[in-house]
Amino acid sequence: MVQSKKERYGFLAFCLLPTFILFLIFTIYPLFSGMYYSFFEMSGSSSNKEFVGLANYVKLLNDEIFPHTIWHDYFLVITKVIGIMILATFFAVALTQLRIKEAPFYRIVFFFPNIMSIVVIGILWMFIFNPDLGLINSGLEALGLEDWTKAWLGDPDTALSALVLPSVWAGIGLFMLMLMGGILTIPKSFYEAATVDGANGWQQFWKVTVPLVWPQIKNSILYIVITTLNGSFIIVQVMTEGGPDNSTQVMGSYLYQQAFQRNNFGYGATIGVAILILSLITVLLLQKFMKREKIQY
Amino acid sequence: METRRVKDAAKQAGIRIPLILWSIAVLFPIVWMFLGSFKSNAEIYASPWGLPETWNFSNYAVAWFDYGLGTSAFNSIVVTVGGTLLTVVLAVPTSYALERIRFKGSTIMYNLYLSAMMIPLVLGWIPLFFLLLNINLLDNLFGLILVYAMSQIPFSVFILTGFMSTIPADLEEAAAIDGMSQYRMLFTVITPLSMTGIITISIMNAINFWNEYFMALIFLQSSEKYTLALAVDFMKNEAQYTNAWGTLFAGLVIAIVPVIIAYAIFQRRITKGMTEGAVKG
Repeated sequence: MVQSKKERYGFLAFCLLPTFILFLIFTIYPLFSGMYYSFFEMSGSSSNKEFVGLANYVKLLNDEIFPHTIWHDYFLVITKVIGIMILATFFAVALTQLRIKEAPFYRIVFFFPNIMSIVVIGILWMFIFNPDLGLINSGLEALGLEDWTKAWLGDPDTALSALVLPSVWAGIGLFMLMLMGGILTIPKSFYEAATVDGANGWQQFWKVTVPLVWPQIKNSILYIVITTLNGSFIIVQVMTEGGPDNSTQVMGSYLYQQAFQRNNFGYGATIGVAILILSLITVLLLQKFMKREKIQY
Repeated sequence: METRRVKDAAKQAGIRIPLILWSIAVLFPIVWMFLGSFKSNAEIYASPWGLPETWNFSNYAVAWFDYGLGTSAFNSIVVTVGGTLLTVVLAVPTSYALERIRFKGSTIMYNLYLSAMMIPLVLGWIPLFFLLLNINLLDNLFGLILVYAMSQIPFSVFILTGFMSTIPADLEEAAAIDGMSQYRMLFTVITPLSMTGIITISIMNAINFWNEYFMALIFLQSSEKYTLALAVDFMKNEAQYTNAWGTLFAGLVIAIVPVIIAYAIFQRRITKGMTEGAVKG
Protein backbone atom coordinates (compact mmCIF):
# COMPACT_ATOMS: atom_id res chain seq x y z
CA MET A 1 0.00 0.00 0.00
CA VAL A 2 1.47 3.32 -1.04
CA GLN A 3 0.80 5.85 1.56
CA SER A 4 2.72 8.49 3.39
CA LYS A 5 3.22 8.44 7.11
CA LYS A 6 1.13 11.55 7.40
CA GLU A 7 -1.79 10.01 5.55
CA ARG A 8 -1.55 6.91 7.66
CA TYR A 9 -1.65 8.79 10.95
CA GLY A 10 -4.34 11.07 9.63
CA PHE A 11 -6.55 8.11 8.90
CA LEU A 12 -5.80 6.46 12.24
CA ALA A 13 -6.63 9.68 14.06
CA PHE A 14 -9.84 10.02 12.07
CA CYS A 15 -10.89 6.49 13.07
CA LEU A 16 -9.77 6.43 16.66
CA LEU A 17 -9.56 9.88 18.17
CA PRO A 18 -13.18 11.07 18.37
CA THR A 19 -14.32 7.88 20.06
CA PHE A 20 -11.30 7.63 22.31
CA ILE A 21 -11.51 11.25 23.46
CA LEU A 22 -15.19 10.83 24.32
CA PHE A 23 -14.34 7.54 26.06
CA LEU A 24 -11.68 9.31 28.13
CA ILE A 25 -14.06 12.13 29.03
CA PHE A 26 -17.20 10.11 29.74
CA THR A 27 -15.85 6.82 31.08
CA ILE A 28 -12.23 7.01 32.25
CA TYR A 29 -12.12 10.52 33.68
CA PRO A 30 -15.30 10.05 35.81
CA LEU A 31 -13.87 6.86 37.29
CA PHE A 32 -10.65 8.51 38.47
CA SER A 33 -12.40 11.70 39.35
CA GLY A 34 -14.75 9.63 41.52
CA MET A 35 -11.78 8.28 43.44
CA TYR A 36 -10.53 11.84 43.88
CA TYR A 37 -13.95 13.03 45.12
CA SER A 38 -13.83 10.43 47.88
CA PHE A 39 -11.28 12.58 49.72
CA PHE A 40 -13.58 15.58 49.79
CA GLU A 41 -16.63 16.72 51.60
CA MET A 42 -18.97 18.04 48.96
CA SER A 43 -22.38 19.45 49.48
CA GLY A 44 -24.53 20.48 46.60
CA SER A 45 -22.04 21.42 43.92
CA SER A 46 -18.59 20.50 42.80
CA SER A 47 -17.23 23.98 43.46
CA ASN A 48 -18.16 23.61 47.10
CA LYS A 49 -15.67 21.03 48.17
CA GLU A 50 -13.41 20.76 51.11
CA PHE A 51 -10.49 18.35 51.40
CA VAL A 52 -11.06 16.01 54.32
CA GLY A 53 -8.38 13.36 53.72
CA LEU A 54 -9.50 9.92 54.77
CA ALA A 55 -12.44 11.16 56.82
CA ASN A 56 -14.99 9.65 54.42
CA TYR A 57 -13.24 6.28 54.64
CA VAL A 58 -13.23 6.44 58.44
CA LYS A 59 -16.91 7.28 58.30
CA LEU A 60 -17.51 4.33 55.97
CA LEU A 61 -15.75 1.91 58.33
CA ASN A 62 -17.87 3.15 61.22
CA ASP A 63 -21.09 3.21 59.21
CA GLU A 64 -23.51 0.71 60.69
CA ILE A 65 -25.51 0.30 57.50
CA PHE A 66 -22.63 -0.27 55.10
CA PRO A 67 -21.62 -3.79 56.26
CA HIS A 68 -25.25 -4.84 55.80
CA THR A 69 -25.26 -3.51 52.25
CA ILE A 70 -22.14 -5.58 51.46
CA TRP A 71 -23.75 -8.68 52.92
CA HIS A 72 -26.96 -8.02 50.96
CA ASP A 73 -25.00 -7.70 47.73
CA TYR A 74 -23.18 -10.97 48.30
CA PHE A 75 -26.40 -12.66 49.41
CA LEU A 76 -27.86 -11.71 46.04
CA VAL A 77 -24.70 -12.84 44.24
CA ILE A 78 -24.70 -16.26 45.92
CA THR A 79 -28.42 -16.97 45.65
CA LYS A 80 -28.54 -15.77 42.04
CA VAL A 81 -25.54 -17.88 41.03
CA ILE A 82 -27.04 -20.97 42.66
CA GLY A 83 -30.60 -20.42 41.45
CA ILE A 84 -29.71 -19.42 37.90
CA MET A 85 -26.99 -22.03 37.38
CA ILE A 86 -29.08 -24.96 38.62
CA LEU A 87 -32.13 -24.05 36.58
CA ALA A 88 -30.20 -22.91 33.49
CA THR A 89 -28.09 -26.08 33.48
CA PHE A 90 -31.14 -28.29 33.93
CA PHE A 91 -32.98 -26.59 31.10
CA ALA A 92 -29.90 -26.52 28.84
CA VAL A 93 -29.34 -30.25 29.28
CA ALA A 94 -33.03 -31.03 28.86
CA LEU A 95 -33.26 -29.04 25.64
CA THR A 96 -30.09 -30.41 24.05
CA GLN A 97 -29.75 -34.01 25.21
CA LEU A 98 -33.33 -35.12 24.89
CA ARG A 99 -35.41 -34.95 21.79
CA ILE A 100 -38.08 -32.43 22.60
CA LYS A 101 -40.14 -31.27 19.64
CA GLU A 102 -41.16 -27.96 21.15
CA ALA A 103 -37.61 -27.03 22.26
CA PRO A 104 -37.55 -23.81 20.17
CA PHE A 105 -40.67 -22.62 21.97
CA TYR A 106 -39.00 -22.99 25.37
CA ARG A 107 -35.86 -21.31 24.10
CA ILE A 108 -37.79 -18.30 22.85
CA VAL A 109 -39.98 -18.00 25.96
CA PHE A 110 -37.24 -18.49 28.55
CA PHE A 111 -35.02 -15.88 26.97
CA PHE A 112 -37.61 -13.14 26.71
CA PRO A 113 -37.31 -11.75 30.28
CA ASN A 114 -33.62 -11.07 29.55
CA ILE A 115 -34.58 -8.21 27.27
CA MET A 116 -37.34 -6.77 29.43
CA SER A 117 -36.63 -3.47 31.18
CA ILE A 118 -35.74 -3.88 34.83
CA VAL A 119 -38.41 -1.30 35.59
CA VAL A 120 -41.07 -3.48 33.98
CA ILE A 121 -39.73 -6.63 35.66
CA GLY A 122 -39.58 -4.89 39.04
CA ILE A 123 -43.09 -3.47 38.85
CA LEU A 124 -44.52 -6.75 37.58
CA TRP A 125 -43.00 -8.59 40.52
CA MET A 126 -44.22 -5.96 42.96
CA PHE A 127 -47.67 -7.04 41.84
CA ILE A 128 -46.84 -10.69 42.20
CA PHE A 129 -45.76 -9.98 45.78
CA ASN A 130 -48.65 -7.57 46.45
CA PRO A 131 -50.29 -8.60 49.74
CA ASP A 132 -53.89 -8.15 48.53
CA LEU A 133 -53.85 -8.78 44.79
CA GLY A 134 -50.62 -10.62 44.22
CA LEU A 135 -50.26 -14.00 42.62
CA ILE A 136 -48.24 -15.45 45.46
CA ASN A 137 -50.70 -14.70 48.23
CA SER A 138 -53.67 -15.59 46.03
CA GLY A 139 -51.99 -18.86 45.18
CA LEU A 140 -51.31 -19.65 48.83
CA GLU A 141 -54.94 -18.87 49.68
CA ALA A 142 -56.13 -21.10 46.88
CA LEU A 143 -54.07 -23.92 48.38
CA GLY A 144 -55.56 -23.25 51.81
CA LEU A 145 -52.33 -21.84 53.22
CA GLU A 146 -53.70 -18.47 54.37
CA ASP A 147 -51.33 -18.46 57.33
CA TRP A 148 -48.35 -18.27 55.03
CA THR A 149 -49.50 -15.14 53.24
CA LYS A 150 -47.64 -11.97 54.08
CA ALA A 151 -46.45 -8.65 52.74
CA TRP A 152 -43.35 -10.15 51.18
CA LEU A 153 -41.65 -6.91 50.24
CA GLY A 154 -42.86 -5.06 53.32
CA ASP A 155 -41.37 -7.49 55.82
CA PRO A 156 -37.66 -7.01 56.58
CA ASP A 157 -37.29 -10.78 57.02
CA THR A 158 -38.49 -11.70 53.55
CA ALA A 159 -37.86 -8.62 51.42
CA LEU A 160 -34.30 -9.45 50.36
CA SER A 161 -35.13 -13.07 49.51
CA ALA A 162 -38.13 -11.84 47.58
CA LEU A 163 -35.77 -9.84 45.34
CA VAL A 164 -33.92 -13.00 44.34
CA LEU A 165 -36.92 -14.45 42.50
CA PRO A 166 -37.30 -11.73 39.86
CA SER A 167 -33.53 -11.69 39.35
CA VAL A 168 -33.46 -15.43 38.71
CA TRP A 169 -36.62 -15.24 36.62
CA ALA A 170 -35.06 -12.56 34.43
CA GLY A 171 -31.66 -14.22 34.15
CA ILE A 172 -32.25 -17.88 33.29
CA GLY A 173 -32.65 -17.58 29.52
CA LEU A 174 -29.32 -16.03 28.68
CA PHE A 175 -27.28 -18.52 30.69
CA MET A 176 -29.33 -21.44 29.44
CA LEU A 177 -28.38 -20.40 25.89
CA MET A 178 -24.71 -19.95 26.80
CA LEU A 179 -24.61 -23.46 28.28
CA MET A 180 -26.55 -24.91 25.34
CA GLY A 181 -23.93 -23.45 23.03
CA GLY A 182 -21.27 -25.34 24.95
CA ILE A 183 -23.16 -28.61 25.12
CA LEU A 184 -23.87 -28.62 21.39
CA THR A 185 -20.13 -28.64 20.63
CA ILE A 186 -19.62 -31.92 22.50
CA PRO A 187 -19.38 -34.74 19.96
CA LYS A 188 -22.16 -37.32 20.22
CA SER A 189 -19.55 -40.10 20.23
CA PHE A 190 -18.45 -39.11 23.77
CA TYR A 191 -21.88 -39.92 25.12
CA GLU A 192 -22.08 -43.09 23.07
CA ALA A 193 -18.73 -44.22 24.46
CA ALA A 194 -19.87 -43.37 28.00
CA THR A 195 -23.07 -45.38 27.47
CA VAL A 196 -21.06 -48.35 26.23
CA ASP A 197 -18.95 -48.08 29.39
CA GLY A 198 -22.16 -48.31 31.38
CA ALA A 199 -22.32 -44.72 32.64
CA ASN A 200 -25.85 -43.63 33.48
CA GLY A 201 -27.30 -40.24 32.63
CA TRP A 202 -26.24 -38.67 35.91
CA GLN A 203 -22.66 -39.95 35.60
CA GLN A 204 -22.52 -38.78 32.01
CA PHE A 205 -23.62 -35.33 33.15
CA TRP A 206 -20.84 -35.03 35.75
CA LYS A 207 -18.06 -36.80 33.84
CA VAL A 208 -18.69 -35.63 30.29
CA THR A 209 -20.97 -32.59 30.17
CA VAL A 210 -19.70 -30.56 33.13
CA PRO A 211 -15.95 -30.81 32.37
CA LEU A 212 -16.48 -30.06 28.70
CA VAL A 213 -18.73 -27.04 29.21
CA TRP A 214 -16.65 -25.76 32.12
CA PRO A 215 -15.57 -22.66 30.15
CA GLN A 216 -19.23 -21.73 29.64
CA ILE A 217 -20.08 -22.50 33.26
CA LYS A 218 -17.17 -20.37 34.43
CA ASN A 219 -18.11 -17.48 32.15
CA SER A 220 -21.74 -17.65 33.23
CA ILE A 221 -20.87 -17.53 36.92
CA LEU A 222 -18.43 -14.66 36.39
CA TYR A 223 -20.99 -12.77 34.37
CA ILE A 224 -23.69 -13.22 37.01
CA VAL A 225 -21.29 -12.06 39.74
CA ILE A 226 -20.15 -9.00 37.80
CA THR A 227 -23.61 -7.92 36.69
CA THR A 228 -25.00 -8.42 40.20
CA LEU A 229 -22.26 -6.45 41.97
CA ASN A 230 -22.44 -3.72 39.32
CA GLY A 231 -26.18 -3.60 38.90
CA SER A 232 -28.18 -5.20 41.71
CA PHE A 233 -29.15 -1.74 42.94
CA ILE A 234 -31.35 -1.14 39.91
CA ILE A 235 -33.94 -3.74 40.84
CA VAL A 236 -33.58 -2.74 44.50
CA GLN A 237 -34.28 0.89 43.64
CA VAL A 238 -37.35 -0.02 41.59
CA MET A 239 -38.87 -2.52 44.00
CA THR A 240 -37.96 -1.45 47.54
CA GLU A 241 -35.63 1.57 47.43
CA GLY A 242 -33.52 -0.31 49.95
CA GLY A 243 -36.33 -0.63 52.49
CA PRO A 244 -38.01 -1.65 54.66
CA ASP A 245 -35.58 -0.40 57.28
CA ASN A 246 -32.54 -0.89 54.99
CA SER A 247 -33.22 -4.63 54.83
CA THR A 248 -32.68 -4.66 51.07
CA GLN A 249 -30.15 -1.85 50.85
CA VAL A 250 -27.22 -2.82 48.62
CA MET A 251 -24.01 -0.87 48.04
CA GLY A 252 -25.19 0.75 44.82
CA SER A 253 -28.54 1.89 46.16
CA TYR A 254 -26.81 3.24 49.26
CA LEU A 255 -24.44 5.19 47.03
CA TYR A 256 -27.38 6.58 45.07
CA GLN A 257 -29.21 7.67 48.20
CA GLN A 258 -26.17 9.21 49.84
CA ALA A 259 -24.99 11.02 46.73
CA PHE A 260 -28.08 11.93 44.78
CA GLN A 261 -30.79 12.12 47.42
CA ARG A 262 -28.83 13.54 50.35
CA ASN A 263 -26.18 15.39 48.34
CA ASN A 264 -23.32 13.68 50.20
CA PHE A 265 -21.38 13.35 46.96
CA GLY A 266 -18.01 12.82 48.60
CA TYR A 267 -19.31 10.06 50.79
CA GLY A 268 -21.16 8.54 47.85
CA ALA A 269 -17.89 8.46 45.91
CA THR A 270 -16.25 6.68 48.84
CA ILE A 271 -18.94 4.00 48.67
CA GLY A 272 -18.28 3.82 44.92
CA VAL A 273 -14.57 3.20 45.52
CA ALA A 274 -15.51 0.41 47.92
CA ILE A 275 -17.78 -1.14 45.26
CA LEU A 276 -14.98 -0.91 42.70
CA ILE A 277 -12.42 -2.54 45.02
CA LEU A 278 -14.75 -5.28 46.25
CA SER A 279 -15.95 -6.24 42.78
CA LEU A 280 -12.40 -6.31 41.35
CA ILE A 281 -11.18 -8.49 44.24
CA THR A 282 -14.18 -10.80 43.86
CA VAL A 283 -13.67 -11.24 40.14
CA LEU A 284 -9.92 -11.89 40.51
CA LEU A 285 -10.47 -14.43 43.29
CA LEU A 286 -13.20 -16.18 41.32
CA GLN A 287 -11.03 -16.38 38.23
CA LYS A 288 -8.25 -17.94 40.27
CA PHE A 289 -10.59 -20.25 42.12
CA MET A 290 -12.37 -21.50 39.01
CA LYS A 291 -9.26 -22.09 36.96
CA ARG A 292 -9.26 -25.70 35.88
CA GLU A 293 -6.95 -27.52 33.57
CA LYS A 294 -8.44 -27.52 30.14
CA ILE A 295 -9.84 -30.98 29.60
CA GLN A 296 -9.26 -32.82 26.39
CA TYR A 297 -10.47 -36.28 25.64
CA MET B 1 -40.14 -54.11 28.60
CA GLU B 2 -43.15 -52.74 30.40
CA THR B 3 -41.11 -51.33 33.29
CA ARG B 4 -38.74 -49.78 30.83
CA ARG B 5 -41.61 -48.00 29.10
CA VAL B 6 -42.90 -46.75 32.43
CA LYS B 7 -39.43 -45.58 33.35
CA ASP B 8 -39.05 -43.70 30.08
CA ALA B 9 -42.42 -42.08 30.50
CA ALA B 10 -41.50 -41.02 34.03
CA LYS B 11 -38.23 -39.57 32.78
CA GLN B 12 -40.01 -37.70 30.01
CA ALA B 13 -42.50 -36.28 32.48
CA GLY B 14 -39.76 -35.39 34.95
CA ILE B 15 -38.19 -33.21 32.28
CA ARG B 16 -41.33 -31.91 30.59
CA ILE B 17 -43.06 -30.78 33.75
CA PRO B 18 -40.34 -28.34 34.88
CA LEU B 19 -40.14 -26.95 31.34
CA ILE B 20 -43.88 -26.39 31.22
CA LEU B 21 -43.98 -24.90 34.71
CA TRP B 22 -41.20 -22.46 33.92
CA SER B 23 -42.94 -21.42 30.68
CA ILE B 24 -46.02 -20.63 32.73
CA ALA B 25 -43.92 -18.75 35.27
CA VAL B 26 -42.50 -16.59 32.48
CA LEU B 27 -45.64 -16.06 30.43
CA PHE B 28 -48.28 -15.76 33.12
CA PRO B 29 -47.13 -12.44 34.65
CA ILE B 30 -46.77 -10.94 31.18
CA VAL B 31 -50.24 -12.10 30.08
CA TRP B 32 -51.60 -10.94 33.43
CA MET B 33 -50.18 -7.48 32.79
CA PHE B 34 -51.83 -7.30 29.35
CA LEU B 35 -55.21 -8.41 30.74
CA GLY B 36 -54.96 -6.03 33.69
CA SER B 37 -54.36 -3.09 31.40
CA PHE B 38 -57.95 -3.46 30.11
CA LYS B 39 -59.57 -3.75 33.52
CA SER B 40 -61.06 -1.06 35.67
CA ASN B 41 -59.68 -0.75 39.19
CA ALA B 42 -62.79 -2.27 40.70
CA GLU B 43 -62.42 -5.23 38.41
CA ILE B 44 -58.76 -5.73 39.30
CA TYR B 45 -59.73 -6.02 42.94
CA ALA B 46 -62.77 -8.17 42.27
CA SER B 47 -61.12 -10.66 39.93
CA PRO B 48 -57.37 -10.11 39.72
CA TRP B 49 -56.88 -13.34 37.76
CA GLY B 50 -59.75 -13.43 35.27
CA LEU B 51 -60.27 -12.11 31.78
CA PRO B 52 -61.50 -8.51 31.57
CA GLU B 53 -65.28 -8.18 31.26
CA THR B 54 -64.99 -5.61 28.52
CA TRP B 55 -61.90 -4.62 26.59
CA ASN B 56 -61.78 -0.95 27.30
CA PHE B 57 -58.88 1.24 26.40
CA SER B 58 -59.51 4.01 28.91
CA ASN B 59 -56.45 3.01 30.96
CA TYR B 60 -54.32 3.60 27.89
CA ALA B 61 -55.88 7.00 27.28
CA VAL B 62 -55.29 8.04 30.89
CA ALA B 63 -51.69 6.80 30.85
CA TRP B 64 -50.93 8.38 27.47
CA PHE B 65 -52.49 11.79 28.09
CA ASP B 66 -52.85 12.36 31.84
CA TYR B 67 -49.57 10.75 32.86
CA GLY B 68 -47.73 12.14 29.87
CA LEU B 69 -46.59 8.78 28.51
CA GLY B 70 -47.06 10.26 25.04
CA THR B 71 -44.25 12.74 25.72
CA SER B 72 -42.15 10.09 27.43
CA ALA B 73 -42.56 7.68 24.54
CA PHE B 74 -41.36 10.43 22.21
CA ASN B 75 -38.36 11.09 24.48
CA SER B 76 -37.57 7.39 24.60
CA ILE B 77 -37.65 7.22 20.81
CA VAL B 78 -35.32 10.23 20.53
CA VAL B 79 -32.85 8.78 23.03
CA THR B 80 -33.00 5.29 21.55
CA VAL B 81 -32.55 6.36 17.93
CA GLY B 82 -29.98 9.03 18.77
CA GLY B 83 -27.96 6.75 21.03
CA THR B 84 -28.02 3.87 18.57
CA LEU B 85 -26.88 6.00 15.62
CA LEU B 86 -24.18 7.75 17.62
CA THR B 87 -22.84 4.41 18.84
CA VAL B 88 -22.55 3.14 15.26
CA VAL B 89 -20.83 6.32 14.08
CA LEU B 90 -18.32 6.10 16.93
CA ALA B 91 -17.81 2.35 17.00
CA VAL B 92 -17.40 1.42 13.31
CA PRO B 93 -14.22 3.41 12.48
CA THR B 94 -12.64 2.50 15.82
CA SER B 95 -13.41 -1.19 15.34
CA TYR B 96 -11.96 -1.10 11.83
CA ALA B 97 -8.73 0.56 12.94
CA LEU B 98 -8.34 -1.74 15.92
CA GLU B 99 -9.03 -4.86 13.90
CA ARG B 100 -7.35 -4.13 10.57
CA ILE B 101 -4.55 -1.60 11.01
CA ARG B 102 -1.36 -2.44 12.85
CA PHE B 103 -0.22 0.37 15.04
CA LYS B 104 1.55 0.79 18.33
CA GLY B 105 -0.81 0.61 21.28
CA SER B 106 -3.64 -1.05 19.39
CA THR B 107 -3.83 -3.98 21.83
CA ILE B 108 -3.69 -1.64 24.81
CA MET B 109 -6.53 0.44 23.44
CA TYR B 110 -8.61 -2.64 22.66
CA ASN B 111 -8.09 -4.02 26.17
CA LEU B 112 -8.89 -0.66 27.69
CA TYR B 113 -12.26 -0.68 25.93
CA LEU B 114 -12.90 -4.26 26.94
CA SER B 115 -12.04 -3.76 30.59
CA ALA B 116 -14.64 -0.99 30.76
CA MET B 117 -17.22 -3.75 30.27
CA MET B 118 -16.23 -5.28 33.61
CA ILE B 119 -15.76 -2.20 35.76
CA PRO B 120 -18.65 -0.94 37.88
CA LEU B 121 -19.45 2.42 36.36
CA VAL B 122 -21.64 3.60 39.22
CA LEU B 123 -18.67 5.39 40.83
CA GLY B 124 -18.22 7.39 37.64
CA TRP B 125 -21.81 8.59 37.65
CA ILE B 126 -21.11 11.11 40.43
CA PRO B 127 -18.42 13.04 38.52
CA LEU B 128 -20.40 12.53 35.31
CA PHE B 129 -23.33 14.27 36.96
CA PHE B 130 -21.17 17.35 37.64
CA LEU B 131 -19.52 17.15 34.24
CA LEU B 132 -22.92 17.24 32.52
CA LEU B 133 -24.02 20.01 34.86
CA ASN B 134 -20.99 22.12 33.93
CA ILE B 135 -21.39 21.67 30.18
CA ASN B 136 -25.16 22.27 30.38
CA LEU B 137 -26.07 18.75 29.33
CA LEU B 138 -27.70 17.71 32.59
CA ASP B 139 -31.45 17.18 32.27
CA ASN B 140 -30.90 17.17 28.53
CA LEU B 141 -31.78 14.39 26.10
CA PHE B 142 -28.64 14.97 24.04
CA GLY B 143 -26.53 14.60 27.18
CA LEU B 144 -28.25 11.29 27.89
CA ILE B 145 -27.66 10.17 24.29
CA LEU B 146 -23.93 10.84 24.70
CA VAL B 147 -23.77 8.98 28.01
CA TYR B 148 -25.74 6.06 26.58
CA ALA B 149 -23.58 5.80 23.47
CA MET B 150 -20.39 5.81 25.53
CA SER B 151 -21.79 3.15 27.85
CA GLN B 152 -22.27 0.78 24.90
CA ILE B 153 -19.04 1.52 23.02
CA PRO B 154 -17.06 -1.30 24.66
CA PHE B 155 -19.69 -3.94 23.86
CA SER B 156 -20.14 -2.60 20.32
CA VAL B 157 -16.40 -2.51 19.60
CA PHE B 158 -16.06 -6.04 20.93
CA ILE B 159 -18.82 -7.41 18.70
CA LEU B 160 -17.85 -5.38 15.61
CA THR B 161 -14.16 -6.29 15.68
CA GLY B 162 -15.30 -9.91 15.80
CA PHE B 163 -17.40 -9.42 12.68
CA MET B 164 -14.71 -7.45 10.83
CA SER B 165 -12.10 -10.12 11.44
CA THR B 166 -14.10 -12.39 9.13
CA ILE B 167 -13.90 -9.99 6.15
CA PRO B 168 -11.27 -11.35 3.72
CA ALA B 169 -8.14 -9.18 3.52
CA ASP B 170 -7.94 -9.54 -0.30
CA LEU B 171 -10.85 -7.18 -0.67
CA GLU B 172 -8.92 -4.39 0.99
CA GLU B 173 -5.76 -5.21 -0.96
CA ALA B 174 -7.65 -5.16 -4.24
CA ALA B 175 -9.28 -1.88 -3.36
CA ALA B 176 -5.92 -0.40 -2.37
CA ILE B 177 -4.35 -1.47 -5.65
CA ASP B 178 -7.21 0.26 -7.46
CA GLY B 179 -6.04 3.39 -5.68
CA MET B 180 -8.97 3.68 -3.35
CA SER B 181 -8.32 5.88 -0.33
CA GLN B 182 -8.66 4.35 3.12
CA TYR B 183 -11.55 6.67 3.89
CA ARG B 184 -13.50 5.48 0.88
CA MET B 185 -12.59 1.91 1.65
CA LEU B 186 -13.99 2.26 5.16
CA PHE B 187 -17.26 3.71 3.93
CA THR B 188 -17.83 1.85 0.67
CA VAL B 189 -16.23 -1.54 1.33
CA ILE B 190 -15.90 -2.26 5.04
CA THR B 191 -19.10 -0.70 6.32
CA PRO B 192 -21.43 -2.52 3.89
CA LEU B 193 -19.62 -5.80 4.52
CA SER B 194 -20.00 -5.34 8.29
CA MET B 195 -23.71 -4.65 8.00
CA THR B 196 -24.66 -7.85 9.84
CA GLY B 197 -22.55 -6.81 12.81
CA ILE B 198 -23.76 -3.23 12.68
CA ILE B 199 -27.38 -4.37 12.67
CA THR B 200 -26.73 -6.76 15.56
CA ILE B 201 -25.16 -4.11 17.80
CA SER B 202 -27.82 -1.60 16.82
CA ILE B 203 -30.67 -3.88 17.86
CA MET B 204 -28.95 -4.75 21.13
CA ASN B 205 -28.10 -1.13 21.89
CA ALA B 206 -31.57 0.09 20.95
CA ILE B 207 -33.21 -2.39 23.34
CA ASN B 208 -30.75 -1.38 26.03
CA PHE B 209 -31.40 2.33 25.62
CA TRP B 210 -35.16 1.84 25.42
CA ASN B 211 -35.12 -0.13 28.69
CA GLU B 212 -32.51 1.89 30.57
CA TYR B 213 -33.58 3.30 33.90
CA PHE B 214 -30.83 4.27 36.29
CA MET B 215 -28.76 6.68 34.23
CA ALA B 216 -31.97 8.37 33.12
CA LEU B 217 -32.97 8.64 36.78
CA ILE B 218 -29.71 10.40 37.64
CA PHE B 219 -29.18 12.54 34.55
CA LEU B 220 -32.74 13.65 33.78
CA GLN B 221 -34.70 15.74 36.24
CA SER B 222 -37.76 17.46 34.84
CA SER B 223 -40.80 15.35 34.09
CA GLU B 224 -41.18 16.61 30.53
CA LYS B 225 -37.76 15.04 29.77
CA TYR B 226 -38.67 11.66 31.29
CA THR B 227 -38.14 8.54 29.24
CA LEU B 228 -40.74 5.75 29.44
CA ALA B 229 -38.83 3.84 32.11
CA LEU B 230 -38.82 6.91 34.37
CA ALA B 231 -42.43 7.80 33.61
CA VAL B 232 -43.62 4.27 34.40
CA ASP B 233 -41.57 4.25 37.60
CA PHE B 234 -43.18 7.57 38.53
CA MET B 235 -46.64 6.08 37.85
CA LYS B 236 -45.74 3.18 40.13
CA ASN B 237 -44.89 5.56 42.97
CA GLU B 238 -48.19 7.39 42.45
CA ALA B 239 -50.18 4.17 42.24
CA GLN B 240 -49.14 3.22 45.76
CA TYR B 241 -51.42 6.03 46.92
CA THR B 242 -54.02 6.21 44.17
CA ASN B 243 -54.23 2.45 43.52
CA ALA B 244 -54.55 3.18 39.81
CA TRP B 245 -53.19 -0.25 38.91
CA GLY B 246 -55.00 -0.57 35.59
CA THR B 247 -53.35 2.60 34.32
CA LEU B 248 -49.98 1.39 35.53
CA PHE B 249 -50.48 -1.91 33.69
CA ALA B 250 -51.27 0.08 30.54
CA GLY B 251 -48.04 2.03 31.05
CA LEU B 252 -46.05 -1.19 31.37
CA VAL B 253 -47.62 -2.52 28.18
CA ILE B 254 -46.70 0.66 26.30
CA ALA B 255 -43.11 0.28 27.52
CA ILE B 256 -42.82 -3.38 26.60
CA VAL B 257 -44.63 -3.65 23.25
CA PRO B 258 -41.74 -2.28 21.14
CA VAL B 259 -39.40 -4.78 22.79
CA ILE B 260 -41.79 -7.64 22.01
CA ILE B 261 -41.99 -6.51 18.39
CA ALA B 262 -38.19 -6.28 18.13
CA TYR B 263 -37.89 -9.73 19.66
CA ALA B 264 -40.46 -11.19 17.28
CA ILE B 265 -38.54 -9.87 14.28
CA PHE B 266 -34.92 -10.26 15.40
CA GLN B 267 -35.10 -13.13 17.88
CA ARG B 268 -32.07 -14.98 16.51
CA ARG B 269 -29.85 -11.93 16.24
CA ILE B 270 -30.76 -10.77 19.73
CA THR B 271 -30.03 -14.08 21.43
CA LYS B 272 -26.78 -14.46 19.46
CA GLY B 273 -25.65 -10.92 20.21
CA MET B 274 -26.37 -11.21 23.91
CA THR B 275 -24.69 -14.57 24.39
CA GLU B 276 -21.60 -13.36 22.53
CA GLY B 277 -21.47 -10.14 24.51
CA ALA B 278 -21.78 -12.04 27.78
CA VAL B 279 -18.91 -14.37 26.94
CA LYS B 280 -16.39 -11.60 27.17
CA GLY B 281 -18.34 -9.43 29.60
